[in-house]
Amino acid sequence: MKHKLLPLSETMHYILLALREPLHGYAAMQKIEQMSNGQVVLAAGTLYGAVENLTKHGWIEPVGEEGRRKIYCITNEGKEILQLERNRLTHILSLYEGSGMDEEV
Amino acid sequence: MKKFKLFVDIEKEENWLNEQLQKGYRCKAINGLGVYTFEKMDEQYVMRLDYQRYVAKDKFENYQSMYEDFGWHLVRGDTIGGIQYWQKEADDQTEIFSDRQSANDYYKRIMNYTLSLGFILSFLCFLFYRDNGIYLTPGLWDMEGALFWKALLFETPFALMRLVPVMIAILLLSSSYKAYRKCS
Repeated sequence: MKHKLLPLSETMHYILLALREPLHGYAAMQKIEQMSNGQVVLAAGTLYGAVENLTKHGWIEPVGEEGRRKIYCITNEGKEILQLERNRLTHILSLYEGSGMDEEV
Repeated sequence: MKKFKLFVDIEKEENWLNEQLQKGYRCKAINGLGVYTFEKMDEQYVMRLDYQRYVAKDKFENYQSMYEDFGWHLVRGDTIGGIQYWQKEADDQTEIFSDRQSANDYYKRIMNYTLSLGFILSFLCFLFYRDNGIYLTPGLWDMEGALFWKALLFETPFALMRLVPVMIAILLLSSSYKAYRKCS
C-alpha cells in the first residue's frame, strides 16, 4: 500500500520544497507564502503538526538550533519522495496537455 | 473581571471565550477549575484551543516557540497534556489550523482523549459498584409486589445519579465525535 502521507498534501508538499534549504519553522512559513504567491499561508498548529509528522517519517530532520527554534532540512529520503511526486505530477500535467495517450502506445 | 463557567465541549468553550474577547477583553488567566480572568483592552484579541498529549519538556518548548513565532501567547497549558489555550491580537491570521488534515488531526486527538477518559470513568464506576450494584436499598431484590416496585422507583433517581460519571463520559465522547464528523 502507498505511504499514508502520499500523495502529498499541499501543506506537506510546500514544506518539503521549502526545506531544500535549512530553515526554522516560521521562516519556512514565510518562504512558502512567497513561493505560492500568497496562496498558501500556513497557520501555527498546521505547521507544527506537519513538521512533527515529516520528522517522524524521516523526510526532514532537525539540523541545528537558533535560540529556542529548531532548524530543519530535507533528508535524502525526503528528496526521493519529492522525485516520486514530481513524476506523478508530470504525468498528470501531460494528461492536461493531451499527450498522455501517446505514451501508452 | 472574573467569570465562572464549566465546559464539557471544547468547541463551546472556545466560542464562549471569543465572545468575551469580542466585547473588548483579553483573557489573563484560566485556572482549570472554571475561573476565567479577563481584563479590558483597547485591542481585539482572539483565542484558539489546541489539544496536546503529554510530551517531553524540550518538545513542548519547540511546540510553544513555534506558536509564539506566529504571535500566539499561551494563556494556559503545560507539558502534562490537555487543552492548550492560545491567544493573540486579532489580525488577518486568526486560525491555528490552515488545512483540513491538521484540523482533522486535532479533532482526533480530542476524541482519543475523551475515549480514554470515558474508559477510566466507567472502569472506576464498575470497581465502585461491582459488589453492591447501583441500587443500595437493603433487601430490595427480595421484596415482592407493590413494595418492590415502590422501592425500585424510589431509588432509581439515586441509582442514576451514581452513574453520572459514565453519563459525563458519554456526553464528552458524543460531542467530540460530532465535532470530528462535522470536520471530515
